[in-house]
Amino acid sequence: MIPISHFMLISAGLFCIGLYAVLTRRNAIQVLIGIEFMINAAVLNFVAFGRYDKISGGGQMFALFAIVLAAAGVAVALAIILNVYKYFKSINPTKTDTLRD
Amino acid sequence: MNDLIPYIPSSIRDSLASLSFFSAEISLILGFLLVILADLFFSKRYPQLSFILALLTLLLVAYQSSGFLKIDSTPMFGGMIIMDHLSILFKLLFCLASILFVLFIRFNRAFQNHDKGFGDMYAILLAVHLGLNLMAMSANLLMVYLSLEMVSLGSYLMVGYLSTGQRQTEAAMKYALFGAVCSAIMLYGMSLLYGFTGTLYLNDPAFLSGLNSVPVMASGLALIMVFIGIAFKLSLVPLHFWSPDVYEGAPTPVTAFLSTAPKIAGFAVLVKFLEIFYDPGSKTLSSSMLDLNYILAFLAILSMLLGNFVAIWQNNVKRMLAYSSIGHTGFMLMALFIFSTSGFKAIIFYMAIYVIMNMAAFMIVDEIEEKTGKQNIDEYKGLGKQNSLLMISLLIILISLTGLPPTVGFTAKFLVFSSALEAYNLSGSAILLIMIMIASLSTVVSLFYYFKVPLNAFLRESPDPVKLSIRSAKVYMGIFLAFLLLLLIVFPSMLEQLI
Repeated sequence: MIPISHFMLISAGLFCIGLYAVLTRRNAIQVLIGIEFMINAAVLNFVAFGRYDKISGGGQMFALFAIVLAAAGVAVALAIILNVYKYFKSINPTKTDTLRD
Repeated sequence: MNDLIPYIPSSIRDSLASLSFFSAEISLILGFLLVILADLFFSKRYPQLSFILALLTLLLVAYQSSGFLKIDSTPMFGGMIIMDHLSILFKLLFCLASILFVLFIRFNRAFQNHDKGFGDMYAILLAVHLGLNLMAMSANLLMVYLSLEMVSLGSYLMVGYLSTGQRQTEAAMKYALFGAVCSAIMLYGMSLLYGFTGTLYLNDPAFLSGLNSVPVMASGLALIMVFIGIAFKLSLVPLHFWSPDVYEGAPTPVTAFLSTAPKIAGFAVLVKFLEIFYDPGSKTLSSSMLDLNYILAFLAILSMLLGNFVAIWQNNVKRMLAYSSIGHTGFMLMALFIFSTSGFKAIIFYMAIYVIMNMAAFMIVDEIEEKTGKQNIDEYKGLGKQNSLLMISLLIILISLTGLPPTVGFTAKFLVFSSALEAYNLSGSAILLIMIMIASLSTVVSLFYYFKVPLNAFLRESPDPVKLSIRSAKVYMGIFLAFLLLLLIVFPSMLEQLI
């Protein structure tokens, strides 16, 4: 049996990769990919911890909901990014800065 | 699998019994479907049908929610959500904000003339309202995440709904990306909390004991990650970057809604989290693992200072109101800090007044922007002479936002301050005293930027004075709400007896 710490290490690694992508990428789609990494890290954690919570199965349940919500979130974000491209001809978040102090 | 079968009848019975307490949410779901269908099939013949349906649904929800006002704490759906007096008060506040928002959209020209129609907006609003209601009642990490995402997704759509120009799409993208990152961080924090405690139920005793049994670094990290998601909704200071941009770029009715309802819902969730750590004996948050008191106090102080000081330098009215709402958030966080019955009364009263003030301010600002295109404070020169009634109402609203008599904003601030002082006398904690001092300092600072508007409108001359027609529903609503602010200081009991 694979010990729980392995799952936690992998998920922590995934989360950090995702966060790094969010902070460094200069393309909104790539930022979304980074966010997806972070969500999947959490999902992995939930499923791994869910082993120890067989009766209510909260972890498995949460993982399912998180996957569905992540898909919904990406759909909304992609629609918005499409609109941004229409007006800016670019999806670089650093170049779209007409609003600032 | 077979060992779960005995539980099925009891859980079905529990769910069916819960449905009778769930009537307000069921109406919201039905209203949501009706609005979508009405918009699909009847939008040509009866263009305002979706508006009427949404308004009726919200009124019904307010009526149904107020029916449960005297309820004791009732767990529903196996403890996923808990309905109590406080959550009903929050639900009524959401109804107030949503009803004003529906009327605001109805009379906003940009929405009414939008070529894709405005019916979907009402459907999104009802879905968001459902999320807000669930946020106020949630007692389970899954429910917290689900309802928070419901509100977030709806809000992204609202901000990007019109997409008539660069600024609106940019605001929507900033909001969506930043929000998605914060909710992903929160989700990871929740997964860690689940791992540490083995339960998703916030009021489960195993939750607190599990948190106390892991090292402070680990539990603190997980909690801070969850608080990041909530603080994003509240736009507290380290996570406030989005709010000025989004408030400026979004359509004004949406700005007015975002600055009120989701913020209040964020507070409702924060209360749910803090209740776990509340120790009834010492009347403080138990600090055995992580000193939440200091973190929250620090965030409140930072929000009050930054929100109010940065607002002074703003020229765009919507941006100024965005920073001022960050300051108000800090102030409300201070009120939340006083974890007692009088503290809750004060914060609910403050929030109700805050909803009225903010909605009214944005309505009048929107009216001026719609008629003249003026968005900046220095362009307001000379508006007061020509449109005295409109600008006097705006002045009353701004006085109320500052918290000066003779408006009810003063009563609200006074209640918060007095319950804070009461808590200070009981506990004698220095940090509370510092917060009270910062709060009063920031109230004085807020005078400078709020009064820049009447200063320009009344005392400065304009080369080409503009006369606005007063005959517009938004102006009437703004004047009515301003009048309400004056009326409520004479009769604060009208609101207080509800709380």
